[in-house]
Amino acid sequence: MQAARELNRAAAVLALSVLMDSAIEHYRGSFKNKAMFTPLAVSALALGVSAHGMRDQRAVTHGLRNGAYILTGLTGAAGLAFHTYNVMKRTGGINWQNLFYGAPIGAPAAIAMSGALGSAGERIRHYAPFTPAHIWGLPSGRGLAALTSLGIIGTSAESFLLHFRGAFHNPCMYLPVTLPPIASALMARLAWLPEGSRHPWTRLWLGLTAFLGFGGVAFHAYGVNRALGGWRNWRQNMLDGPPLPAPPAFTGLSLAGLAALRIIEAKRLV
Amino acid sequence: MPVSAADPQKTPRAVEGRAPDVFRIGGWVPMRQYAESEEVDFAIVGTGAGGGTLACKLAEGGFSVVGFDAGAYWRPLEDFASDETEQSKLYWTDDRIVDGENPLQLGGNNCGKAVGGSTVHFAMVSLRFRPEWFKSRSVMGYGLDWPLDWREMWKYYAEAEEALKIAGPVTYPWGPKRPRYPYRAHEMNAAAHALAKGCEAMGIGWTETPLATVSAPRGLSSPCMYRGFCVVGCSTNAKQSALTTWIPRALKAGAEIRDLSMVGRVEVDASGKATGVHYLREGAWRFQRAKNVVVAGYAIETPRLLLNSANPQFPNGLANSSGLVGKYLMTQSNQAVWGLSKDEVRSYKGPPSLALTEHWNYDDKKDFFGGYAYMSQGPLPAMWAKTQMSSRQLWGAELVRSMQDYNHVVGLKMVGEMLPQERNQVVLTGEKDQYGLPVPKVTYSWCDNDKAMIRHALGFMRQAMEAIDAHDIFDQDDDTNHLYGTARMGDDPRSSVVNADCRSWDIPNLWICDGSVFPTTGGVNPSLTIQAIACRTGDRIKAMARRGEL
Repeated sequence: MQAARELNRAAAVLALSVLMDSAIEHYRGSFKNKAMFTPLAVSALALGVSAHGMRDQRAVTHGLRNGAYILTGLTGAAGLAFHTYNVMKRTGGINWQNLFYGAPIGAPAAIAMSGALGSAGERIRHYAPFTPAHIWGLPSGRGLAALTSLGIIGTSAESFLLHFRGAFHNPCMYLPVTLPPIASALMARLAWLPEGSRHPWTRLWLGLTAFLGFGGVAFHAYGVNRALGGWRNWRQNMLDGPPLPAPPAFTGLSLAGLAALRIIEAKRLV
Repeated sequence: MPVSAADPQKTPRAVEGRAPDVFRIGGWVPMRQYAESEEVDFAIVGTGAGGGTLACKLAEGGFSVVGFDAGAYWRPLEDFASDETEQSKLYWTDDRIVDGENPLQLGGNNCGKAVGGSTVHFAMVSLRFRPEWFKSRSVMGYGLDWPLDWREMWKYYAEAEEALKIAGPVTYPWGPKRPRYPYRAHEMNAAAHALAKGCEAMGIGWTETPLATVSAPRGLSSPCMYRGFCVVGCSTNAKQSALTTWIPRALKAGAEIRDLSMVGRVEVDASGKATGVHYLREGAWRFQRAKNVVVAGYAIETPRLLLNSANPQFPNGLANSSGLVGKYLMTQSNQAVWGLSKDEVRSYKGPPSLALTEHWNYDDKKDFFGGYAYMSQGPLPAMWAKTQMSSRQLWGAELVRSMQDYNHVVGLKMVGEMLPQERNQVVLTGEKDQYGLPVPKVTYSWCDNDKAMIRHALGFMRQAMEAIDAHDIFDQDDDTNHLYGTARMGDDPRSSVVNADCRSWDIPNLWICDGSVFPTTGGVNPSLTIQAIACRTGDRIKAMARRGEL
């Protein structure tokens, strides 16, 4: 139950990151295609139902909420296909130029992940504490760990792509491509191990990754300030500089990881 | 925006122990100054790609250096406007006489009068030579061999690329392996995508152009924001010019830069060694003593200074025992094919040449010598109107109507190798300019090989334009750009002016370090090669000084 609400919170943080990021990026793209409003709508929806879930103390799956999460997940998957198509149709197909400057592949995947986390939360909500719930054939804690591992490594891959585009001109730009992959590996390990033991190092590393999400916003704010005119020219530099809302995706995913850890460690009590 | 009161083209800025801080509006940086009576290690005439780079290398090597430039010391953030006419202040527009079968158009992008030289307005295209070009006579059967080895140059290219944080493709498709460009390539604009599409249709390779403008922050340079006025002066400092890279480093290492200082004569004593330079600053001719003099005034001003410094001992001008000073002037063919796209292109957004192909530099199945690259284009409006006037003879209502298609203009422009010919030259005339110095006469004629290459390029680029469904296609067949060759380097004092170290054969403490030393041009823009040569010369001078060979 507690874990389920934590998952609502994780989904909320992720949805908020995506909402802000896609609002800025698609505004930058002048909403040239009407479909570019879609991620705003669904991430706002995911954010709304997550807020609802966080306040909801009932140990039952909420059908409407779950439906909204599934819709979010499907939209993310469709966005992924759409962005991939956008990259492929550019001159030269899949090359660095198009990966750097075409539609970002990783962004819609974050929407899908927000939906998946929320939906996972709904699925484990109605189970009694000591009844093993399952996600994709794995016990819920391990399944969630696998999902988080995937999300963290994917987000790290996207930050690698964009920080490589920025030539890692500041050494701190290596942080999101070094710390989170370790968190991802630790979560993958949890997905593999039987549930029920304590994992203080994993907890610590997830905390660090969650913190990195906030720290990243500060670094990106500094990055915006290094463009011509700095923050005085925020209307241009917010759009063209490093994306402020992107790093908290790590925070959302780490919160989901902590929820998974709660379930896994709770098994010790059995 | 606060702007300094005095006109930087009339009153020198680099005085009283300080020089303009190019990164801050109204800012200053401390500058060491040398007395004219003090014999400095190096007096460098010109502060562009050659002189600016060498000033930095020598100052960082511990030498005392004074760099002279006839132009102003600009602060791009406060002095540069988004206006082509205003920005013609960056060009060298003093009197010249041009003749020959194909007279050069001087006073535009092929010259520069500013601290930083023409790198202040260059298109930032930073390419390496094809290795074989350094031995084009023995390997490819035309032109001349350079006294330099490409493997050594590869190292100095890397140094120059790092110093300028060149933003280029992750892997470069032509030539031997090179290190990864320090910064990633910029986002291609629609004009660059048009080039790429044309290349794919023609079955040849293309890539993003390696450019000297940063795609991410670098020190006090903010990332390029695609304003598009690069070729009339970058007002944001994203451009990595000599003014924003080498010269700030030189100042930090103790060099002095004297702006608005026109050097008119290099003094040579009875022993046949250079003793300093005569220069005009603030209305008076002055003399700076120096142990070594470096001439880096580019392919017209360099021979003009050497020829004008003639004395009874060297009646034909300095460093001219070979008779080659001013001879073998070269330019590059810069012809273009233009057309209209049905989609909006807005080619003027971003740096003008974001994509290129070097296919015809590396493919030798051609019926002429040499090679060419071609690049996507983004002409600014006044330049575009001028092109329409000169190439299509449009005027009046017709020109106005045609300018309404400006957003749809797409074009491909070549940078092609022209062969060295003795008849192409710079000589002095009896006429005097505003400094009282003899006006140079610049003679240029194309040879049959030049014409064959231009025909090939125009034909090929036209096919590439047709392949992307451009319409109203026309050729611009008269343009040329970079200059080279009037003080060429070589292995033999009888057939060259300087040796591989840019040291003149005749006067051991007189050096020439700019585009004039190129024996051949290659089919790429010269700035990176000039800077690589300057880096090498700096290292060679340091090594010779250690061995007491200066």
